[in-house]
Amino acid sequence: MNATSTFQRIPQEDLAWLGTDPIPAEAYYDPAYFERERRAVFLKSWIHVAHACELPAAGSFIRRDLEFANASLLIIRGRDGRIRAFHNVCPHRGTQLVEEAEGRQTKFSCPYHMWTFGTDGALISAPDFEAFHLDKQDCSLPQVALGECGGMLFVNFDPAAQPLREWLGEYVDQLEKMPVARATAFSEYTYEIAANWKLTYDNFQENYHLRFIHPRSGGAGIGGDNQFGYPASMGFSGPHRTQRIWSNPAPELKPFQRAASMRGVQALAKRGLLDLPYGRDYLAFFPNLFIIGTPTQPFSHTVYPIAADRSRGVVRVYWAGEEANSSERFAREYSLAQIRDIHAEDIAMIERGQRGLASGALSHIHFQTMEALCRHLYVAVDERVRAYVLSVGEAA
Amino acid sequence: MSETGQLPAGFELLEPFVEAWAIGGTANRAARRSTSTPNEREAFFTAAGPVLDTALDYLDGRSLDAFSPADQRLMNLMLSLAHIALAVEIQGPDETKSAPWRDRMQISRSSADQARHA
Repeated sequence: MNATSTFQRIPQEDLAWLGTDPIPAEAYYDPAYFERERRAVFLKSWIHVAHACELPAAGSFIRRDLEFANASLLIIRGRDGRIRAFHNVCPHRGTQLVEEAEGRQTKFSCPYHMWTFGTDGALISAPDFEAFHLDKQDCSLPQVALGECGGMLFVNFDPAAQPLREWLGEYVDQLEKMPVARATAFSEYTYEIAANWKLTYDNFQENYHLRFIHPRSGGAGIGGDNQFGYPASMGFSGPHRTQRIWSNPAPELKPFQRAASMRGVQALAKRGLLDLPYGRDYLAFFPNLFIIGTPTQPFSHTVYPIAADRSRGVVRVYWAGEEANSSERFAREYSLAQIRDIHAEDIAMIERGQRGLASGALSHIHFQTMEALCRHLYVAVDERVRAYVLSVGEAA
Repeated sequence: MSETGQLPAGFELLEPFVEAWAIGGTANRAARRSTSTPNEREAFFTAAGPVLDTALDYLDGRSLDAFSPADQRLMNLMLSLAHIALAVEIQGPDETKSAPWRDRMQISRSSADQARHA
């Protein structure tokens, strides 16, 4: 066999348990389905919202607005070091407390009537409080469940939610050994897209499109006997899933691209980040987050739903430690710009897909075996939507 | 020459590119990529690409927080080169077509920017 013949395609029968039926198209554009999804999935799941490195010290806070919950959250590291999430809402009359996106302060005052809260959300003082018929301990900021794993912060709007680590299940260990768990900083870009969150997210769960949409930028991931750049393996655990990205034994790198990579690799080697396990792994946490362990470009991508046909994507590339020198600064800039180029190429196709589906022309769409991760997402979503419909007795 | 030079000695070749490409801020560099012409990108990449290793070796010899204004300009040139190299070397003929889609991906945070504001 020739030296580049390394690819073993995952056998069809290994994935047969997921089913082979066509998938109802309405799940990707129907506002009624979206509303059920919002309630059954997004208000009941652990949703990634931030990274612990954004809250370095006591009093550090960030504001996160989540369209699917129609909520603004205030996430604060308390004086006790604990990170908590609150609704950014004054319990007096509902005024939003904080407008800043981030900052650091020892207390939070509502501008309307100066009710003032500590970093733990407790009401410290309120002018003329005796005129209310209330106890201070009943006037804390409304809290939302928050959990951390591998530096990643998740919130859950369901008061009866199972603990985060239980929810993440068997992928906890993998997550904690990925570069994201060592991150002290990150680069970020965000985008709005006229497309359903699943249609958007699915684009990043399959490599079938790589050779057509990324012929130049994605060249290193395709080649030899793997002309589609299909994954080397896939795994499933509850609603979550994983894949191992195929390692191209002879990636085609352009001269400058190679020189730029070398600049970054030296810095990563010094930090011991080149030989972490799971460097080729993609971890997808239900419903809308995935994380990639590639040492030169460890990133997360979260797709937040806004409406049946509108979503917001947040991509973060994570860095361990401050830039040691100019080479590392350059390598981080190149890495960010490179992944952004690739993602930009996907946007047009995803929106085109949404326009096609929205016409109602198709009753069903199709996933092939190597699009099994997309199928698995739909199955996990639809299970929850159906259970929700049964529980509330709503017409399906 | 060096009295009017805006870059550290030895990098005179890149002086003509300082005004257009020594840009502070990752989002600004990305935006400049999108508004530049193919000829501008080609000329910058041709001149600056081969200097990458020399420039970074020089800058690596200096502490990031002790840059002279000339060092900072050279750093910013190399950071712009990161964007332009992708345009010329990777995107090539697709660069113009992909620019509007890329512009929708708004850079809200970067390693270089965070360090600068720290």
